[in-house]
Amino acid sequence: MRRFFARNAPAYVFLLPWLIGFFLLALGPILASLYLSFTRYDMVNVPEWVGLDNYVYMFTRDRRFWKALDVTFTYVALAVPARLIMALGVAMLLDKGLRTIGLYRAIFYLPSLLGASIAIAILWRQLFAADGVVNQILATFGIQGASWITNPNTSLYTLVILAMWQFGSPMLIFLAGLRGIPRDLYEAAEIDGTPRWRQFTRITLPLLAPVIFFNLVLQTIDAFKTFSSAFIISNGTGAPADSLLFYTVYLFNEAFKFFRMGYASALAWVLLIIIAVFTAVAFFTSKYWVHYENERD
Amino acid sequence: MTKLTRRSMLGAMGAAAAASAFSAIPAWAADRSIRHFWWGNPERDKRTFAVIDVFQKANPAIEVSGETIGWGDYWTKMATQTAGRNMADLVQMDYRFLFEYVRRGALLPLDEHIGKTLMIADFDQGPLEGGKVDGKLYALNIGSNSQVMVHNTRVFQEAGIDADLINWTWDDFAKACETITAKTNGAVKGSDDLSLMIETFESWVRQNGREFYDADGKVTATVDDVASYWQFWADLREKGAVRDADKTVILDPPIAESGIAVGDTAMSHFWSNQLVGIQAVAKDKIGAAMVPHKAGGKPGQFIKPSMFMSLSRDAKDTDAAIAYMNAWVNDPETTAILGLERGIPCSPKVRAALAPNLTEVEKMSVDYFEAIQSKVGPLPLPAPKGAGEVRDAFMRVGTDVVLGNAQAADAATAFIEEAQSIVERAQ
Repeated sequence: MRRFFARNAPAYVFLLPWLIGFFLLALGPILASLYLSFTRYDMVNVPEWVGLDNYVYMFTRDRRFWKALDVTFTYVALAVPARLIMALGVAMLLDKGLRTIGLYRAIFYLPSLLGASIAIAILWRQLFAADGVVNQILATFGIQGASWITNPNTSLYTLVILAMWQFGSPMLIFLAGLRGIPRDLYEAAEIDGTPRWRQFTRITLPLLAPVIFFNLVLQTIDAFKTFSSAFIISNGTGAPADSLLFYTVYLFNEAFKFFRMGYASALAWVLLIIIAVFTAVAFFTSKYWVHYENERD
Repeated sequence: MTKLTRRSMLGAMGAAAAASAFSAIPAWAADRSIRHFWWGNPERDKRTFAVIDVFQKANPAIEVSGETIGWGDYWTKMATQTAGRNMADLVQMDYRFLFEYVRRGALLPLDEHIGKTLMIADFDQGPLEGGKVDGKLYALNIGSNSQVMVHNTRVFQEAGIDADLINWTWDDFAKACETITAKTNGAVKGSDDLSLMIETFESWVRQNGREFYDADGKVTATVDDVASYWQFWADLREKGAVRDADKTVILDPPIAESGIAVGDTAMSHFWSNQLVGIQAVAKDKIGAAMVPHKAGGKPGQFIKPSMFMSLSRDAKDTDAAIAYMNAWVNDPETTAILGLERGIPCSPKVRAALAPNLTEVEKMSVDYFEAIQSKVGPLPLPAPKGAGEVRDAFMRVGTDVVLGNAQAADAATAFIEEAQSIVERAQ
């Protein structure tokens, strides 16, 4: 026990600010929301206990709940792989050791810093509007573009592209991972005459597996919680025709627009469970494809 | 966006410090302060902060802080503040949310102040009446409103449209749309596509002799009402006489992006107090027309007390708040600054004082208001709980019709079913 603390004390010291924040600011609201999820609460009057009603309604009668799940799952399934592939690709380019690498890293990371901001969402809306930049570029090639944002068939994909573009943070982590792969492995492969793509599948991917796993879990959780971009682009409603009704947008509307705080709390807990299940599945399956270097000893 | 004067900021910080350090000593409580929260736009905010300055000068003992935010976020913030028991002392209220807030116990009645500090005895009774719930006055009218079809007078003239814009019918409207589109070779479409405007649809239902909601808050609009409305626009859309579907499905666009402001279309639906704002962003001179009528139908439009000021449950210094409220509707300096931006004031004295100094567009909105007086129907009962959600559903289902993914009749059935279940669940 004492050894455990001696070894981990610095970690806990660094964690302390977060732990304090968690216990002082987050735990109370979390427990309150669990309680509220069993009530009918309009934010003004006293919450009224309704048992499992919120959950029963959600699963049996609420069509928009299923629509929100549909939209969110589709988004996660497309955006997470797209972003990870983009991030890995750029990381590998940068890993080649450009002289001005610091500058490039900063430039490539920028969209991620701006990504969560309202300004980018508004910019996106302008880019993909009927008379937006994207269509103007297409028009120079003689292609008549649709109004991507206002067409329910395409609106979700504009957000997937936005997600792809915000590859900065997984890219930096990939870059660090790539730096950790011993160069001599590639040199040996080079001497053996192994083709590039084979080097990629036999050396890079396996040795990067722990980093890929880490990024996958983090980005999946992130994607499930997508809110601000969808909220802004759909004017807060999930429009057009609910094609941007992300789970969190629906939750927000139920809570703050329609005074159903109890129901929104129930929605939040269901989302928590969904994310937990996905993370658990990722961890469970990881032992079949993620190998750590120190496992050898 | 919250604007705080330096003085009020320091005052608030000092008060907070004093409160935490010496909560037993009520010395700071002598400082009188009130908060006023409204939904706004740049023009309205400018005028309101000017009013606050005037009031501060006249009442140096009372500290007023103003908070403003756009309509979309206003109700979210208000709901949060209400839940946190931290409402501003005075809040701007809308007819469609009034009952909801009164029923939740978030507002205080004003009756005991009338005649003592709140001087509204000579006001128009009709518009005042709209602020009453269960016989008590909870909301002071600070501007009346009605629906209006805004039109581009230059395009109308060039296309040779000479319809009677007060008494015209939907047939006249459709013909005007086609003529304008044809005369301009489609460069200017006749009108914005109003398929998703539940406000216009509400007039349509009333012209059919029904209210959208009955006295019990049940949905009384029928599938036929909705289907015929969506079909009317679908026909115009097919003829290319209204704005493109792509631009229609952008929900609640700012005034500056409406067809009439951009020059895409010659007509659009608004509320009359927005005329001043639209003229500010439109290139051509605008005019005001009534929402078209049904041949032999009932009146669809109504005059609505659109903007109210209400006293919140969390108000501490109610006397100061009432004094401020009183200045808003009676003080000549204040009312001159406010003008008609929030609608037509319901004090005859204020209207008379404003008359000589009206701008061209303000004069037009007053004339419009006079012209429709005998043409409008009674004010509908306040919308039931869930009405905001029904509005969203109308736009959501309507979007499928506009984009050609659903037939008007099928979508209408789906909408009415959904509207009924929303209202039921909200009770």
